[in-house]
Amino acid sequence: MMASAWSVALVGLDGQIVEVEADIGGGLPRTVLVGLPDTALYEARDRCKAAVSNSAVAWPASLLTINLSPATLPKTGSHYDLAIVAAVLGAADQFAASELADTVLLGELGLDGRVRGVRGILPATLAAAQRGFRRVIVPRTQAVEAQLVDDIEVFGVASLRQLLALLRHDPIPDEDELRADDSAEPDRTSDVRSRSLDLADVAGQAEAKWALEVAAAGRHHIFFHGPPGVGKTMLAERLPGLLPDLGVADALEVSAIHSLAGVELDSGLIMRPPYADPHHSASMPAVIGGGPRMAKPGAISRAHRGVLFMDEAPEFSSGVLEAMRTPLESGVVFLTRSQMQTRYPARFQLVLAANPCPCGKFGTPGADCRCPPMAIRRYGQKLSDPIRDRIDISQTFRPPRRTRVRAGLDGGESSATVAGRVAEARDRQARRLAGSQWRCNGEVDGPYLRRHLPLPDGLDAVDDALDRRLLSPRGVDKVLRVAWTVADLAGVDRPLAEHVAVALAMRRGEPSPSWRAVS
Amino acid sequence: MTGQAAKRLGTHGEDLAVAELERQGMTLVARNWRCRVGEVDVIAEETVNGRTTVVFCEVKCRSGLGFGDPLEAITYAKVRKLRQLAAEWLAQTGTQPDAIRVDAVGIVLARGSAPVVRHERGIGG
Repeated sequence: MMASAWSVALVGLDGQIVEVEADIGGGLPRTVLVGLPDTALYEARDRCKAAVSNSAVAWPASLLTINLSPATLPKTGSHYDLAIVAAVLGAADQFAASELADTVLLGELGLDGRVRGVRGILPATLAAAQRGFRRVIVPRTQAVEAQLVDDIEVFGVASLRQLLALLRHDPIPDEDELRADDSAEPDRTSDVRSRSLDLADVAGQAEAKWALEVAAAGRHHIFFHGPPGVGKTMLAERLPGLLPDLGVADALEVSAIHSLAGVELDSGLIMRPPYADPHHSASMPAVIGGGPRMAKPGAISRAHRGVLFMDEAPEFSSGVLEAMRTPLESGVVFLTRSQMQTRYPARFQLVLAANPCPCGKFGTPGADCRCPPMAIRRYGQKLSDPIRDRIDISQTFRPPRRTRVRAGLDGGESSATVAGRVAEARDRQARRLAGSQWRCNGEVDGPYLRRHLPLPDGLDAVDDALDRRLLSPRGVDKVLRVAWTVADLAGVDRPLAEHVAVALAMRRGEPSPSWRAVS
Repeated sequence: MTGQAAKRLGTHGEDLAVAELERQGMTLVARNWRCRVGEVDVIAEETVNGRTTVVFCEVKCRSGLGFGDPLEAITYAKVRKLRQLAAEWLAQTGTQPDAIRVDAVGIVLARGSAPVVRHERGIGG
């Protein structure tokens, strides 16, 4: 007697269909699980057995062989429980085995037969729908998440008894609601927080706010530099609030990553750009992604299509900072482990903030910096040239003067006003870049920028800077991108010389005297 | 369950097992054969097409499924022990059969329902 059920193995965000076969044969009662399972999966054998016995169904007392196919694909995690139980009970003729056709099962079982939530329901359901499966059975608490996927019927089950009733076409028995503490507190993204943060709360720093607006409009990486307490962190936290909503395709991708990272999606797709701000003590796996055998998404992937803010950037370990070089350019990160190469999208907007020296007072007129010159140099060098070269906008903060603070008590424009201008600039970009694979100036690659878009005026200044080694060739492209964004914000169809000059100054981290003129 | 009751249940189970083996056409050779290695519950002979097979049979009897299926209690160590016993029996009796086999019979004697007897052939691998 044999039966097959279907589940999904996730490698990064890509799902592969796994066939779970169960065979009941003669011999002393024994349950064998084969097909390259990891420890959590191997334990499924005992978990499923207890869950079945406690649901008043007999576990077959014979030689029971469970195989997960393709046998060469390493399988991890506990979400195969439902498929294993379904295959076993199908082989034991508890219901018609044909019920399992075209159905993907995902979920972990408790010993009492309760179905528990698992990570990655959304990407797994997406994979099932793409392969033409008609039905997916998931833990009831996660049915909302699975329903975000079109073209597949979703059933949520709270217990093994409900699963059996569903497969036998019996009336579904009621189950007590899961206790609230059964599922971990949903790990909300900082979305609610970012909405309550308003640009008007930040006193002064008009130039930095404008730099932030440019960064938001073109998705440019930005570096905030200045003494402590002048508003670097406050401004960075307000960046997500300036960004427009995600498109549906992006939202699905972002939600899939968050599902994999264990965020509950019970309120629907994540429509707002995500925000990740790892502490500077964060390890390489925490930031880049990693873990043994199968790599999990890190902060750079959780910030995909959103903002990655690294406060006190020089305090991060240099290994972590340097590891961001490739994903910064390519927008993806490949994590290679002994068994698998995993690919995670990581097209994030980087915001770095740094003090000028360990004490933070260096360069501030009138402040008494006591850091030895060597320490100041070393601190500055923590952010290596290759990393700095990938930053489009460098913004130096100056301590506000008294009158400015007073005048800035009302804080100037609100986030909503700025977000409106950002949205308009994004529309211009989307229209110009329609037909290409990009949507924002910050993402467009160099050749397209130079060949397919009109060249801006006033490139002499850029050539000059290149000749004098003040700019790298990469830097030239960065200046062009920012110039386009400045022009988009100004509502001009082609960047003028003044826009290029501003972009060059922003790139070089020089105070730009003319920023007010173009804004 | 006291030792006495367990023993009675075991003996009753063995009776049922012998009946089952005889129903299948086997001849009883010995019951509860003991030596220094241990004990075989039932030894029987089966002749098919003129070939004689000596069957060493372990009998497990339980009064319910509360502790799992009786056959589940037969471990790998027990099977290995049965093979040792088979060798010992052949040596001591000087028998030279065409083949030997290790079987198991599991019996569930639930109160108020008919006994369920399951016979598994060739568990010795």
